[in-house]
Amino acid sequence: MKPVSILRHGFVGLVAVWSVFPFVWMAVAATNSSADVIKGRTLPGGYLIENIQAFMTAVDLPRVLWNSAIISGVGTVLTLTVSALAGYGFEMFRSRFRERVFAGLMLMLSIPFAALMIPLFVMMAKAKLINSYSAVILPMVASVFVIFYFRQATKAFPRELRDAAKIDGLSEWQIFAFVYVPVMRSTFAAATIIVFMANWNNYLWPLVVLQTNDKFTLTLAVASVGIGYTPDYGLIMVGAIAATLPTLLIFFLLQRRFVEGMLGAVK
Amino acid sequence: MGVRSKIWTKSLGMMAVSSTLALSAGAGWAADLTVWCWDPNFNGSTMEKAFAIYQASHPEDTLTIEYFDKTALEQKMQTQLAAGVTDGLPDIVLVGDEMAQKFLLAFPGAFEPLTDELDYAAMAPNKVAVATVDGETYSMPFDSGVTGYFYRSDILGEAGYTAADLEDITWDRLIEIGQDVLQKTGKQLLPIDTNDAGPLLMMMQSAGGWYFDAEGNPTIKDNAALRATLETYARLVNSGIVKPVNGWPEYTGSFTSGETLSTYIGVWITGTIKANADQAGKWAVAPIPRLDGVPGAVNASNLGGSSWYVFADAPNKDDAIDFLKTVWGADIDFYQQILVENGAVGSLMTARDGEAYQAVDDFFGGQPVWQNFSTWLSEIPPINFGIYTQEANAALVGQLPALLAGGDVDEIIDAIDAQVQAQIQ
Repeated sequence: MKPVSILRHGFVGLVAVWSVFPFVWMAVAATNSSADVIKGRTLPGGYLIENIQAFMTAVDLPRVLWNSAIISGVGTVLTLTVSALAGYGFEMFRSRFRERVFAGLMLMLSIPFAALMIPLFVMMAKAKLINSYSAVILPMVASVFVIFYFRQATKAFPRELRDAAKIDGLSEWQIFAFVYVPVMRSTFAAATIIVFMANWNNYLWPLVVLQTNDKFTLTLAVASVGIGYTPDYGLIMVGAIAATLPTLLIFFLLQRRFVEGMLGAVK
Repeated sequence: MGVRSKIWTKSLGMMAVSSTLALSAGAGWAADLTVWCWDPNFNGSTMEKAFAIYQASHPEDTLTIEYFDKTALEQKMQTQLAAGVTDGLPDIVLVGDEMAQKFLLAFPGAFEPLTDELDYAAMAPNKVAVATVDGETYSMPFDSGVTGYFYRSDILGEAGYTAADLEDITWDRLIEIGQDVLQKTGKQLLPIDTNDAGPLLMMMQSAGGWYFDAEGNPTIKDNAALRATLETYARLVNSGIVKPVNGWPEYTGSFTSGETLSTYIGVWITGTIKANADQAGKWAVAPIPRLDGVPGAVNASNLGGSSWYVFADAPNKDDAIDFLKTVWGADIDFYQQILVENGAVGSLMTARDGEAYQAVDDFFGGQPVWQNFSTWLSEIPPINFGIYTQEANAALVGQLPALLAGGDVDEIIDAIDAQVQAQIQ
């Protein structure tokens, strides 16, 4: 190997170790007692079963997994539906107000969520939705970022396909469902990962709007166990793994499409 | 009168009847009390035990506890109170003492005053002070953050220091001891996280000082306690006996692994220290050192601690107050139970006459540690946290690098003051 190549491999290897280390440490820490984690032990230990048992006692795992799955699953489907329709509409239909409305939407990206939290809470309280799945899902459905993402991706969608479909007598809804969606599947895959992960990891809003532990998502549950005055780091790491695995799974399942989607959907 | 208004009148009448019934039923009415707190092994566990006692005389009542991370709970409560929505709030909530004034002043009317319900003369004065606004006290004081100087008596003993040598000393004396111990054992005395205001706050409060006066006005300039704290802290950290650490795990890891030999902090650390059963008999607790040359400085201080509050709009307000009053406000045996089982040092001063408080602890070499802690608890100078303690802490921590690099204390005080004043505007 040439010296330059060795250097390059060395550098890439270093970066890889750098980014993978936290995950390795999370896995190793899950097998150690809290006292060992505090002392900085980096070798696997024999406490995995105990930590898992402690975690399962502290958290109703099936329950919170179910909560997370419902919120993230339904949230993702609704968000993709609304945002893909919006992205399609913004790109396909010409109107005098199109760019102005879109610019207005873009402006909303600059409003921090913290500023929206109190009015949203009041709205949810008025709708009697506090402590319900809907209260977590609804505010996330119309995601400006995902609309923007779909509109950008739609720019690459061949208009000829739409024209041809129209000549064949398809309605606009049919074109969307039977032509646009299959062609844009990579975009949908990438958006699924982005939206699902955002919903799965969402912390602040579910925390504010969910009032009882039995409605908690996995992320919230992990954040509220093993804490307190004597944190149990072994237990916390088991929780961190439990919270990471499902997103990893989704990512690997959709990985190829995700990369395609990021590079541009239509070939 | 139309059918509609007839139904309306009828239902109004029924409502009146049922609410009269509810009132006359009083304490016999079954209540499901809800509580928000943050530690299932500590405050949640003690709450369950208190309720078990209460349930003996109120078998109809039930208790539901929801757990949140402490900071998360504060954020959640802040958002909900700011939104002015009381739906879904619990009957009782646990609030950290350092946050109490902030909530009480920012959301007047949100919490129920308990001044007429509880005998506050029997509670630790510093705990009552943090929950009092305009003469009304709002809390059922719970765990104390009374501080102690926890040290490895075995290793300090080998270096020639006994418990008597650490009793009622100043910080400068501790530095001398630490340097001698370092020379003899090669080990540093204290782990300190220099991004944490805690170690300075304990010093400042031990002299009855704080960033604010009783009215909440900043007293950062011309503050003898703060000045002495900054000077002492700089001397301490730069004396060579302090190991700088980063974050909570490294801090606790340092003294539980034997890398450093002691720490000064709130009594709630006891659980973390005693979790290392192999170190039984090797630890002892002394009162924390005091600031030299500041009038009113004592060998007692406070860090942390929390209290129970009842929401003014709580669905079971009367039951919640009755419960807190009967068990938390009066049951001395209950306080012995949670001391032994949870290591919780309560704030009801009469509880210290009970059996558990008198007992010695073999982990701490047979010292009557709980008796000592409750003595120090009664000596803590009361202070007013005000609304802006968090902001002042941030300003203080921001100046610590300059302080430890040998910066001028006057300039540092000016900088802290300027930042706090700007935040308050």
